[in-house]
Amino acid sequence: MSERTLMGGNIAIAEGAILAGCGAYFGYPITPQNDLLEYMAQQLPALGRVFLQTESELAAINMVYGASATGVRAMTSTSSPGFSLQQEGISYMAGAEAPCVIANIMRAGPGLGNIGGAQGDYMQCTRGGGHGDYYLLTLAPSSVQEMMDLTMLAFELADKYRNPTLIMADGFLGQSVESIVMRDAVKKLPEKKWAITGAKGRPKNLINSFEMNPLDHPARIKLLLEKFERMRINEVRYESMLLDDATIVLVAYGSAARAAMTAMKLARKRNWKVGLLRPITVFPFPNQPLADLAERGCKFLVAEMSGGQMLEDVRISVGNQNEIKLVNTYGGVPLTADQIFESIDLMM
Amino acid sequence: MPARSGGDEEGGEGLSWEVTISGFGGQGVLFIGRLLLEAGFAGGQQVSWLPYYSGEKRGGMCTCFVNISDERIGSIFISHPDVGVAMNPAAYKMLEPTVKQDGLLIVNESLVKTKSQRPDIKTIYVPSVEAARELGDETVGNIIALGAILASAPVVTTSSIIKVLNQMMSKNKRQLELNKAALLKGCEYS
Amino acid sequence: MSEHGVNDLQNVIYQRPDIMVDRATHFCPGCGHGITQRLVGEVLDELDLKERAICIGSIGCTVTAYEYFKVDGMEAPHGRAPAVATAIKRCHPELVPFAIQGDGDLASIGMAEIVHAAARGENITIIFANNANYGMTGGQLAPTTLMGMYTSSTVKGRKQEHHGFPIRVSEMLATLDGPAYIARVSLHNPANVRKARKAIELAFRAPMAGLGLGLVEVLSMCPINWKVEPVQSLDWMVKNMIPQFPLGEFKCLPEVAEMKKVVKG
Repeated sequence: MSERTLMGGNIAIAEGAILAGCGAYFGYPITPQNDLLEYMAQQLPALGRVFLQTESELAAINMVYGASATGVRAMTSTSSPGFSLQQEGISYMAGAEAPCVIANIMRAGPGLGNIGGAQGDYMQCTRGGGHGDYYLLTLAPSSVQEMMDLTMLAFELADKYRNPTLIMADGFLGQSVESIVMRDAVKKLPEKKWAITGAKGRPKNLINSFEMNPLDHPARIKLLLEKFERMRINEVRYESMLLDDATIVLVAYGSAARAAMTAMKLARKRNWKVGLLRPITVFPFPNQPLADLAERGCKFLVAEMSGGQMLEDVRISVGNQNEIKLVNTYGGVPLTADQIFESIDLMM
Repeated sequence: MPARSGGDEEGGEGLSWEVTISGFGGQGVLFIGRLLLEAGFAGGQQVSWLPYYSGEKRGGMCTCFVNISDERIGSIFISHPDVGVAMNPAAYKMLEPTVKQDGLLIVNESLVKTKSQRPDIKTIYVPSVEAARELGDETVGNIIALGAILASAPVVTTSSIIKVLNQMMSKNKRQLELNKAALLKGCEYS
Repeated sequence: MSEHGVNDLQNVIYQRPDIMVDRATHFCPGCGHGITQRLVGEVLDELDLKERAICIGSIGCTVTAYEYFKVDGMEAPHGRAPAVATAIKRCHPELVPFAIQGDGDLASIGMAEIVHAAARGENITIIFANNANYGMTGGQLAPTTLMGMYTSSTVKGRKQEHHGFPIRVSEMLATLDGPAYIARVSLHNPANVRKARKAIELAFRAPMAGLGLGLVEVLSMCPINWKVEPVQSLDWMVKNMIPQFPLGEFKCLPEVAEMKKVVKG
């Protein structure tokens, strides 16, 4: 299928999930992702799959946990305050190695904040977010097409690593409409011998994060840590634009990366050597490509819609030798190409 | 490492339009943005549509950003539109200073009483409420403003908008004819 | 064992249910949870659920329940067992998810989950062990702690003006239309243990027949935190717990009442 169609960002996540064989969706209304929940409410029952609007985001993530434990591809979607509530269940799922997909369509925080799009959950998304030693594979789409494609990838990676996987997008992207190319539905879902489906002709299966003997717990965590290391080695994804001759590297993800792309074009019109490195995975983060650019002597401009959270990952990658600047908005205000361009101008 | 690297999409000079429409929620701001989006899409172009509004469903500020381009679209948010449509005074205050040089500003004269002092842009004043009333339905003021865009800026063709209207309103002949009439009436303002 | 002649007995009148794992429990001496688990085991055997039951351990003393049954199991976060069970049942209607929840788990942190699962009429089974305190964390005030009762966080006893009143969960949930069967039972003597067994069986049968939620509130001894000897805890239960938490059925759909004819005992 290569049919072109117009689609909203949140709907593209829902469609991507359906194409990826998502068998169960549980969610609670919260702006700006309500259309995703509503779309699932229309579509999934008609496909014979499970949809349930839950009493809270807490219940939603725990239902995702229950569904996932039975081997079903399961997901929830929410926005920042709801994502905070879900940390409990996510930590349990990471500990119990129960795969799932969570879409966090970020809005401004902290607290109630407002319903404007934001990228202020970066730390929460890329550092695990809940209690204990774990990470989420975190994918950061920057177009409606990627909302679909990365959601499909998220289900694949979640099952591959038996780990919750996150779609981290901002509210602006979620509500935008763009043209996309439809993808083919996944035909064969992976077999899950570990799932709890009734102890029929096999010893019982257990999905838990607890060891009766506390001395056994470190060994369990060691396995998790080795898994996260495999993700760091195998799953780094990013897009580079015009980096070959760049002396200033813009680093941005999500809708901020789109503004950065426009700013880069404006700069190139003035023959300024500006390129863009756009992380597609933010955990694992593309540390090495940034380190390589630092080695070459590049300056860095981090563009994000938060107080400067990804900035810290860029600092970790780049070190202290190179100039690193931040251009940002916060509190639900979109980052514009103009602002980024002005910051480039100051660095020239 | 399965890194995706790519795009040597140098800032080429493909044709692209950046349109910002703003007004009160309920004035049909998002809808005319949607019509532009659909028409651009049908014409095979890259498009993006971004709504931006306050919490209220009616009466709050509502803005819509539409990109129509021959190439990959960068920012979905527009700070300096080629075309601005100001449906109320707050929108005028936002758009009048920010429309690009040589750009187009459509002003809803029914609500905005100020005149632009910018000589470097083309400004068209449309009495959308009164004009819509002449057609017998005040709700099509937004479509009249859309017609005024098309009369001065070939963002998409008028016929492509009519095609979209035909599809959307195929089940409501009266509504379709009303909208077509509004579009053509809007084209008279240039 | 055989030197004592036990295996030579002609008629075995009491043995571990087949579905239960041959291991000692981790419960304190005199605790009621072991009895509750055994009753659940008897019902699982009776209904032949080894291949269909899913045991959900919910946080508190009952969390490792899944270690004691030879059925698939999982661990739910504190209070969330009804949500987890909901999803299992909705995704796999042929499975029989059940959870054993304590009073802190169900009636405090998990109150939203149990109320909404009950209101939706989820076809799941909840065994609610009420021992009037937080057992695992050291005996603190629970939503079911009795008036005046001493706990490690009510050192001068539960006082209405500060702590409010205990919650009668069964009565409260029985006001909802979703549950099919709700009963409160006690474990303080053999006759009541037998009644508890019957109630638990109905709480499995009702959701299995698609009639809605089955819940049994089991008043359960906690001698360690009640600070009485195990034997005295039985009297303590009768004297203190049952007056606050009267025994009986609070919801029993006619179809469930009909099932009583086939329930043994």
